[in-house]
Amino acid sequence: MPIIVEKLTHTYMPGTENEHVAVDNVSLTINEGEFFGIIGHTGSGKSTFIQHLNGLVQPTSGKVTVDGFDMSDKKQRQKGRALVGMVFQYPDYQLFDSTVLDDVAFGPKNLGQSEEEAKKSAAEAMKTVGLDPELFGEKSPFELSGGEKRRAALAGIIAMKPKYLVLDEPMAGLDPSGRRDVVATIDALRRELGCTVIMVSHSMEDVARSAERIAVLNEGKLYALGTPDEIFSKTQELIDMGLDAPQTARLAEALRQKGCDVPESIYTNERFIEWFRGLKHV
Amino acid sequence: MISISEVEYSYEDGEDAKKALSGVSLEIRDGEFVAIVGHNGSGKSTLAKMLNALILPDSGTVTVFGMDTADEKLTLDIRKKVGIVFQNPDNQIVTTVVEEDVGFGPENLGVPTQEIRKRVDRALEAVGMTDYARSAPHMLSGGQKQRIAIAGVLAIRPDVLVLDEATAMLDPIGRKAVLDIAKRMNKELGITVVMITQYMEEAVIADRVVVMNEGKVAMQGTPREIFRRGDELRKIRLDVPVMVELREKLAAESLIPDTDALTVEEMAEEICPLLLKN
Repeated sequence: MPIIVEKLTHTYMPGTENEHVAVDNVSLTINEGEFFGIIGHTGSGKSTFIQHLNGLVQPTSGKVTVDGFDMSDKKQRQKGRALVGMVFQYPDYQLFDSTVLDDVAFGPKNLGQSEEEAKKSAAEAMKTVGLDPELFGEKSPFELSGGEKRRAALAGIIAMKPKYLVLDEPMAGLDPSGRRDVVATIDALRRELGCTVIMVSHSMEDVARSAERIAVLNEGKLYALGTPDEIFSKTQELIDMGLDAPQTARLAEALRQKGCDVPESIYTNERFIEWFRGLKHV
Repeated sequence: MISISEVEYSYEDGEDAKKALSGVSLEIRDGEFVAIVGHNGSGKSTLAKMLNALILPDSGTVTVFGMDTADEKLTLDIRKKVGIVFQNPDNQIVTTVVEEDVGFGPENLGVPTQEIRKRVDRALEAVGMTDYARSAPHMLSGGQKQRIAIAGVLAIRPDVLVLDEATAMLDPIGRKAVLDIAKRMNKELGITVVMITQYMEEAVIADRVVVMNEGKVAMQGTPREIFRRGDELRKIRLDVPVMVELREKLAAESLIPDTDALTVEEMAEEICPLLLKN
């Protein structure tokens, strides 16, 4: 069963001078097992949007259902919320216990698992994100590097075995190898646990590489929804919107402007090389 | 000029404590734009904090315009010369009105009130935030907050601006705004810029790139020189800009001639003639 968002509108401080429509009549469906990307610049409404997916905030109008549970209904929301795990941008705000293992075990314990069960779930989750429980379990979360903290926060969420995993800027602030590790972890989660991943990112490179479908939010509205091929064929529109098209898409666009014939499907280095190789053999 | 000589530093005590910096020597010349890159834990942020005496070396010396950072009497004078902007904008804002925040630094340094007014106005103008002088900082976006933090440093009239991963948490627009300001301060006012960054794309705009690894300077040179050494960079958990990766792979298959292009524009220049000939 999917997450269904119907005509979702969220207005901050309605009826006041500071009234602000953050999400404006957005409808979309996120399918089970999908890797769903959400892009949009700061203020496009993407953070407000994802907070509706586990009922952290309530719609001003419209409706969100998670596997049939209406997230506006208090009782149903609890059931729906258990299916949706959220990992926020600043891992420091999500880590608080004295050891990494206790920290990761906090969620499952909260869901009613015994101390022992919770620690077992935590150790498994740590393995999934590539943090060896033997090596990292007894460390303080504050001894971890940025990338390790990010993975520990992720482990804390996946220890609760959510069906939907919402990641807000999972790669921000990490060094290149930290970014590679997090990408590999997300791939493993999808492969091993069959998680549905909903990823908000500024990094068009990361979204272009991983997402199966992408929603583009602009000024609270759903500007476009489609496959990466469909979205990144509109490079110039993305740039005009203040988004950062993938560098390779920008290169393709620059070449077109110089009068070269570059197909619209070229927006990653892999595709560029493949296409270029093909030309040489003609 | 800033001179860093044989600097060692460890966050813990003891014989076998892991060294954050181990034997770093580096000179930063006046008016230079230097990017310092390295993976998490490579020592680059520790080095940044040495530049205005936030951290003092265990051994070795850091001299800022002839002043030794280890001399406590000089700390305030050093901080007038070198201003730092950090990663998380929320931790750097101290007041509830933007202009007060920008004036906080000079006020602390005892600058006369009238002079503060002038400096705040200029600093806000320089970062393009004049319209927000009376706004509440918490209502601003991350990128705008970072511009306010930079204005706060500019109001001190430093000779050196240090950006310690100041763009890491920003969206593409916010990041570009911060980089443009840094570039402009460097070119127009001659302010020395030291930019610590995780993003190889950002290092491309510097005059010189310093690569840190395991608390040491592993390489340094112009962006063109450094980003021709992709294999060495990857070995120390770094990377090359996306366009350099493309160029490396195309050249490896002899699909394009070997070049030192770094940016989208330069790659387009290289590749277009080949396509039009085809």
